[in-house]
Parts: sequence; C-alpha cells; structure tokens
Amino acid sequence: MFSKVLVANRGEIAVRINQTLRAMGIAPVAVYSEADAGSPHVSTAKRAVSLSGNTAEETYLNIDRIVRAARDCGADAVHPGYGFLSENPAFARACSEAGITFIGPTPESMAQLGDKLRSKDIAQRAGVPVVPGSAECLPGDPAAAEFADRWGFPLLVKAAAGGGGRGMRVVDRPERLDADMELASREAQAAFGDGRVFLERYIANPRHVEIQVLADGNGHMIHLGERECSIQRRHQKIIEETPSPALTPELRERMGTAAVAVAREAGYVNAGTVEFLLDLPAGEFYFLEMNARLQVEHPVTEAVLGLDMVEWQMRIANGEPLTLQQEDIQPRGHSIECRIYAEDPYHDFVPSTGPLLRWRPPSGPGLRLDSGVAEGHEVSIYYDPMLAKLVAWASDRDLSLRRMDVALSQFLVLGVITNITLLRAVLGHAQFQRGEYDTGFLEWNPAVTRPAITDEHRVITRALAAWVSQQPVGPASPATSSGRPDSANPWQTAGQWRLP
Amino acid sequence: MTTSQGQMRETYPVEGEVYRYRADENDGSFTFGLEGGEAGALDAAITLTIESGQAGEGLCRTASGRSLPFAWAWVGPELHLWLDGTLFVFQRAETRRRGASAATEAPGDILAPMPGAVLEVLVAEGDRVERNQTVALMESMKMELVITAPRAGVVRRVSVEPGQQVDRGMRLLELGPESDSEGGG
Repeated sequence: MFSKVLVANRGEIAVRINQTLRAMGIAPVAVYSEADAGSPHVSTAKRAVSLSGNTAEETYLNIDRIVRAARDCGADAVHPGYGFLSENPAFARACSEAGITFIGPTPESMAQLGDKLRSKDIAQRAGVPVVPGSAECLPGDPAAAEFADRWGFPLLVKAAAGGGGRGMRVVDRPERLDADMELASREAQAAFGDGRVFLERYIANPRHVEIQVLADGNGHMIHLGERECSIQRRHQKIIEETPSPALTPELRERMGTAAVAVAREAGYVNAGTVEFLLDLPAGEFYFLEMNARLQVEHPVTEAVLGLDMVEWQMRIANGEPLTLQQEDIQPRGHSIECRIYAEDPYHDFVPSTGPLLRWRPPSGPGLRLDSGVAEGHEVSIYYDPMLAKLVAWASDRDLSLRRMDVALSQFLVLGVITNITLLRAVLGHAQFQRGEYDTGFLEWNPAVTRPAITDEHRVITRALAAWVSQQPVGPASPATSSGRPDSANPWQTAGQWRLP
Repeated sequence: MTTSQGQMRETYPVEGEVYRYRADENDGSFTFGLEGGEAGALDAAITLTIESGQAGEGLCRTASGRSLPFAWAWVGPELHLWLDGTLFVFQRAETRRRGASAATEAPGDILAPMPGAVLEVLVAEGDRVERNQTVALMESMKMELVITAPRAGVVRRVSVEPGQQVDRGMRLLELGPESDSEGGG
C-alpha cells in the first residue's frame, strides 16, 4: 500500500480523504492556497505544501505546481477528490510521468468520458439508451436547424466539454437558437477552454438518478446501487438520497446493469458514477454522462452499504482485486445528504462571503458531517460556496428525513447566510415526503424559495433583536467569546437607558 | 423595573420596516411592546423569559411555555440573529448604513450583485443596449453570473475591466437614456 498520498483538493472532500488515509496508515499531504492556510484540510493532513496565490488557476488547478509538490514531498500517489483536476486527463498523465500513481481511472478513459459526445457513443455501443442529440455543430450550422426541425422546441444546447450546468442552455424558440448556441459556446470556452457545443432533445423535468460503480484492474465490476439527485438549483444538486423513492427493484436492476455495461465499454477502473435521466411516466431512462471520479454525494451510498469508498479507491489503485461481488451489495435502511451552501436561497442563490463567526454543527444518532470549514474562518470568494455536507441514516426513509430535519434545525451558523432554511422547506414539503419530485421541484414550488415565517416567529425575533441590541457589543468574534467572564445580567449594568 | 426603548429595522430574510420597541424587565422576564410593520399588522406585546449564560447565545421562553434557543453575532452594523434554526438580520434603525452601493448609486448604474471577478464586458461605451441584453459576465465561487441591462439605453461608461475583482454593489456600467447620443461620436 502507498505510504504517502498527496490530496490535490481543498474543503470537505480533502478532509474526508485525509481521514480515510490516516485510518489506513497512509500519511496524507495537503496542498493549500494562501486563503486556505489553517483550514481543516491542512490541519487534518500529516504534512502540507503551500501553493502561492489564491485563484483556482494559481493553486488547485495548477498541474505543474501540484505534481512538483507531490514529487518534492515523496508522495507515491495523488488523490484528486472531485472538481478541480479530478477529471483532467493531462493531470493524470503528468502524475504517471512523474512516477506517481493517480487514484482514478486511466487518462484515456477519463478523456473519452469527459467529452459528452464521445461518452454518448460509448453508451450507445454498450446498448444503453441516450438522449437524442446532434453531432457537434456551430451556431448557424444547417445541421442545427435540421435537428431543431426534427425535435422542436424547447431544446438544449450543451458544451461537449461541459459539466456542472456550465455551457448549457435551454432554447425555447427558434429565434434564440443561434444566440444561445453562441452564448453556450462562449461560456464553455471560458470555463473549459473548449467551445464545442451540440444540441440535445430537452426532456422536461426528468428525475436525475445515478448509479455508483466500482471496477478493479482485472475487469471485475459491480454497481453499488443508485442515488436520487433530483433536488437541484442552477443545475446543481442540493439534496441526494438512496434508495430513490422512484425505483422499483426491476428498474434498479436494469439501470445497474446498464451502468456496469457503460463502465465496461469505457474500460473503466476505480470508482465512477453513471448518471441517468429518468423519465418516470414513460418508464424510460437515458444515459447522461459518466463521472470519472469520487462523487460529492458518495456518503449516502457508504451509509446504506457500510463501506468506505475512498478505502476501495486506494485498494484498487494499489492493484488489489475488488473482493465484493454483486450479491454482496445489500443496502440497509435509507440515507439522505443535504449540501450546506453559503448562499442566499431567497435572493437568487447569491453566494455569501464573510467570517464564520459561529459554526456549530449538530450531532446525534445516524448523523455524519463532512465539513471543510471551522469557526473563525473566512468564507472567501475564490472557491465553491459549499461549506459542508450533512448526512443522515435511519432504518427507513421517514425516520431518516426526520433526523435530517431535526439536525438542520440545530445547525448554528452565523456570519454568512446559508441555504439551511431552504433545505428544511424542501424536507417539509408534502411532495418531497411522498417521494414525488423531479428536477423541476424548486421551479414548481416557488414558495420553497420564499421565506416562510409566521407572525409569531417574527414578533419573537423582533423582541429578541431589541433585547440583543441593548447588550454590550463584544461577543461578535469567536476569539473573544470563549472564556469571556460575562455571566452577569447586562440589563442590570446598562443604566444609561434606564427611564424615569 | 428597567425599561429601554429604541428602533430597529429588519433586513433579512424579509426586507422589513423600521419598528419601535419598548422593553420592560422584571426579574429576567421581559415584556415588549412593538410598533411597526405593514399598517401596524405586527403591533404586538409579548412577554419572554430570556436566559443568556454564554456570550452570544441564549434560551428564550414564551408565555405559553415554548422554549427557543437563539444565538447572535454582530457583522459590522448588522445583527445576525439565529432563532431555533432560522436566521434573521436586523440593524439599529438610527445607525442603519445605507447599503455600500447606495452612496454612489445613480439611477443608471448597473451594479455587481455579488463579490467576484469580472469575466467579460460585452459592450463598449456608446453602445445601444436592449432591455435584458447581456452586458457582462461575472464569476464568483465557481458560479457564473450573467449581468443584463435593466432597460434599454446607451452605455455611458464602463467602470470595470475583465479580470477585475469587484465588491458587491460596485458599479460595473453606467447606462444613459435611450436618446443619449453623446457616446455616439
């Protein structure tokens, strides 16, 4: 097994990987930007290398710098986490050229899966249905107009190199086609350095269900069941659960088999996720893409299966056989994950930055918190606004949802605005509770993205705000709040506003 | 008995109005008289028992016996108040700072809706723009934001350039009226 592994990431995922590495007796090495000095992903590592600068390009996307850091510290492997360089074939190649094992698939399968057009070909070769789409085309291309004529509007423009909703646009009428293709192409060029776009049939409000796959270097592959990821904002997931309330055992079996077929066709090794659009009324599913990396929402799978995905990633990368068989995969209970974002759910999800003056996550039976922040730290503008993931497990879905709701209600965060109240509004929604939802959930339920406060609550907070405003200011920063000898009732000392 | 009074303003999650309060303390029990809100809809009197052992944190009990944990912190002039799972933001009404942008904001300004980096400016000084036309692209925390013109007009001034970091509320562009032809020459 490896003895020292550089984790080329930050935030909660780097912390989570560090934890498994340490439990396996492997020394994790962190890399960090200036803004991240002293972050939990640094303090949980055994060693840390500073990357000068703050922007992602200067730091966590800087292939040369990270490979040099890995070589200099004597790491024998690199774990890329998710995002940043995790699906960058050039990075995987640079690692292996430096004699360092990249924890993930080969650069070749990563390259073909990272291209949406090529990955659709793979799925088709594997006999898995894909959403009807055009070949690569340019704005003004007759092929684009032809495709639009055949399938009608709305339709989707997608970037071949796309991901995370970037370079993707819904075109609702013919006059917008060229302009939207132009915009998507420009967005993709800026985000991925690759402006190629194509058109796809728009499937209105599908469910987004993905299958986790594990594959070893000897061609043994299994799937680890599904994750339901349909609650999204701006095309990004915010709540995931397993099992999906939408799947029958028969459908689960079909999707699992399809996912393994795609992985096999791609020559896939290590942990990967095959994403599907599920058109439930039609009983059809379509291959969307395969993510060649650890997924953000992997903890829900870990919770119902009682295994450690990162441990398996390490063992597979070390050349060990995958000793699990498909029949060993018997999920127990239900698990749900909520992503805690520093953003304002009531004002267009605008990111919120600032110092984390208070950060007190909940704990309790069946709860897990994967967090990349700590009280007193600054939430900066440089990176993704996800602060942490809260995961609940219970013997059934109903209890698991209740555990999550109680935990969220106790999650104390001050200093930045978070999406916690939105998450609770979703959990409390009857449709969500019945498991009847799709990717249009927030759109169809705008009330969820509006504050819901009773008059009683409002009156109490107004009164409390008045009370607090009369307290001596001081406990604002956590540095002064600990051990402050201040248990006296300030009302008795604040005589200056005593009235006759 | 101790009495205090003052004025506060709600700013989040609902941008509310100024309200006046009067608080009478009696042995850890507080009776509040509140005035304000939409046409007095929230005029209210409420009695709360407030315990605050630890700085910045406490427990409040309503007359009906409900027990609600709360915590607070000042973020500049803003009072962030967390009550039983929900965040509220207030300001002292008399010290309320006009938003950072308000001091410089003119009717024709297009402002940065969040802190971040300017990716691209898609118009130049003197350009005519339509309502909802994309005029700039910004990025903050991995997210791309499309900045559109709130109305038709002529770009009077471009105040930022690609790559520049901006704060929330900073002016990106100044938009003149549609008939504005001074930029055309």
